Amino acid sequence: MRDQGRFFDFLEVIKRAESGEVMKEADYDKRLGKKALSLMKQYEIHFDPQCVIPSDDALADRIFQAAVDLFLDLGVYCTDTQRVIRFTREELQWALENGPQEVQYGREKETVSVYPRKVEDKRDPVCFFSAVGTPVTEEMFLPIARSYAQEPLADTFSGPLITSYKGIPVTSGSPIEVEAAIWNTQMLRKAAIQGGRPHIGIHNFQSTGEKTDATLASAQEKFGAFPGDGLLVAAIAEMKVDFERLKKVAFLRQSPYVLGALYGPLMGGYAGGPEGTTIALVAHHFLGLLVFSAERHNSFPIHIHHVCNTTRDMLWLISVVGQALSRNTNLIFASNAFMASGPCTDMVIDELCAQSITSTVSGWHLNPTAVAKNRHPMRCSGMEPRIHAEVGHRVAQMRLTRREANRVVLKLVEGYEKRIPEAPIGKMFNECYQVEKIRPTDEYENLFARKKKEWKTLGFEVI
Amino acid sequence: MDLFKEMAKAVIEGDEERTVSLAKEALAKGVDPTEAIEKGFAEGMKEVGRRFEKLEIYLPEVIISADAMVAGVEVFRQHILAKGEQSFPKTVLLGTIQGDVHDIGKNIVRIMLESNGFKVYDLGRDVPVLHFIDKVKELNPDIVGVSALMTTTMVHMPRLIEALQENGLREKVKVMLGGAPVLPEWAKKIGADGYGESAMEAVRVAKKLVGL
Repeated sequence: MRDQGRFFDFLEVIKRAESGEVMKEADYDKRLGKKALSLMKQYEIHFDPQCVIPSDDALADRIFQAAVDLFLDLGVYCTDTQRVIRFTREELQWALENGPQEVQYGREKETVSVYPRKVEDKRDPVCFFSAVGTPVTEEMFLPIARSYAQEPLADTFSGPLITSYKGIPVTSGSPIEVEAAIWNTQMLRKAAIQGGRPHIGIHNFQSTGEKTDATLASAQEKFGAFPGDGLLVAAIAEMKVDFERLKKVAFLRQSPYVLGALYGPLMGGYAGGPEGTTIALVAHHFLGLLVFSAERHNSFPIHIHHVCNTTRDMLWLISVVGQALSRNTNLIFASNAFMASGPCTDMVIDELCAQSITSTVSGWHLNPTAVAKNRHPMRCSGMEPRIHAEVGHRVAQMRLTRREANRVVLKLVEGYEKRIPEAPIGKMFNECYQVEKIRPTDEYENLFARKKKEWKTLGFEVI
Repeated sequence: MDLFKEMAKAVIEGDEERTVSLAKEALAKGVDPTEAIEKGFAEGMKEVGRRFEKLEIYLPEVIISADAMVAGVEVFRQHILAKGEQSFPKTVLLGTIQGDVHDIGKNIVRIMLESNGFKVYDLGRDVPVLHFIDKVKELNPDIVGVSALMTTTMVHMPRLIEALQENGLREKVKVMLGGAPVLPEWAKKIGADGYGESAMEAVRVAKKLVGL
């Protein structure tokens, strides 16, 4: 159970959401853009396309300071009250010093301790396997979820979502959303049991239901949600919250579930380009800590046009944010990979490799992975996070430095970046997995094996 | 005409004071307001859109340019109203669908549509289907543009199209859809007239739908 004394007073957050400065949302968005731009110049933060994984500790520290300035100046916007929730420097400092430095997922032999990771950390990253809300059919939900749960490198897992339950479209705010949400949790636990891992932590046991009532309805042991499981509460882009999210926080912080915060800033959006979005993403972690009382953090920054985080600028963003947080906090944070291409393509394997190397060496834990831009139904499988995790483990084992990692990643990116706008969506689960056995097809396994040989020529060997 | 180039430049640079002063200069010189907007400000915004599509600039710069253009266009609009003339731009009713609070994409589309001469009525986020219907009856738009970011909310899109049909409005408007989980083939399947993968594509499709 969480130690409430380690978190900022949530009731005070609620008060500030009701009493903070009134501001139009459009004005808040404009302020974010202007402030991010000015901080980028003030702190001399620049993206170098030839160096996606900088070995520049001073840059990382400047990004952190810029984010502190942004957060203190801008505050967090509550869309329901149209007010700004602000914090003092002392409050932020206190929260960073006192926040949790370990979280545990799972039960019994599957208990996993997640700790703050550091840059070039030789310890393996914790790997949160997930289909990240890819829409799938009701019939295939269980085998797909099992393909994630059964993977040996999955420290925890989560599943896809369904858009239709018992023939009825799953609609936000309707009773069917509650029914489907309960079923979602039940099926995830069933997937774990069938996968031979009954006690594995489910780090987000609800992905079909979005509303708070659906989430809460599914949060019961009889449905398969146990202490050691968790839920993710997402900020609204950028730097915003609403009552729906705060209601989830009110429940979760007093529940036995691990409360994770989720951020998906759009690079190219309100915070500007890679530099501004970098500053904003670090600042989001302060939002998660202070407003959500988050025990850990999950980020999926995405390119505004390409809906992935494997382009050069996105990899740079991920690297420097990871370095900034690792060097200046003891926060526990994971990188949610978003691939442009889909399952069983050579491109997705290279994207996974690049994203995993970048994240791992920069201090992140790993949360693989959305593929095919997370929007094509049935395009997901346990093989993609397997690839991502194997790479991450190898990075740690090799004690890869940032400099070495940058060299390898640049080679990978050069090979696929021109194809990102028209990336192949790849195969559906039943086309790249033997569904009866829940194992990848020979084609997919051979593809990965071939890629490993190619990577060896780059000086990066995954055994 | 150099004045038009200056107007375009002022929009690209996001210089609101300059767009206003150039609009006044154009009026003083007897330049037709519609021509000035199309050949001056709109050309500037087209360049802004091109740069944003290539991510040579980002959303904050787009917003600054759009604000500058709006300020300049307002000078012309006031002049037109004062003269008793009216213009009838093509109109778009825009909103994020019922149950959904995500609106960045929709906001970018709004900015680009307005910058390309459309009059946009933005209903905001979490807009109930019936509210869309009421507003279609009230405002008689050319296009209804709907966005969704979640699979649990995009289910309202076919319901909106059905509601338009039931209320005898379907033939009077074009329906465009957008948002991350919305795929073009699905949009076509449920009877939408258009789909925009990006804001610039949404503008291109919108223009085509209304014959511009």
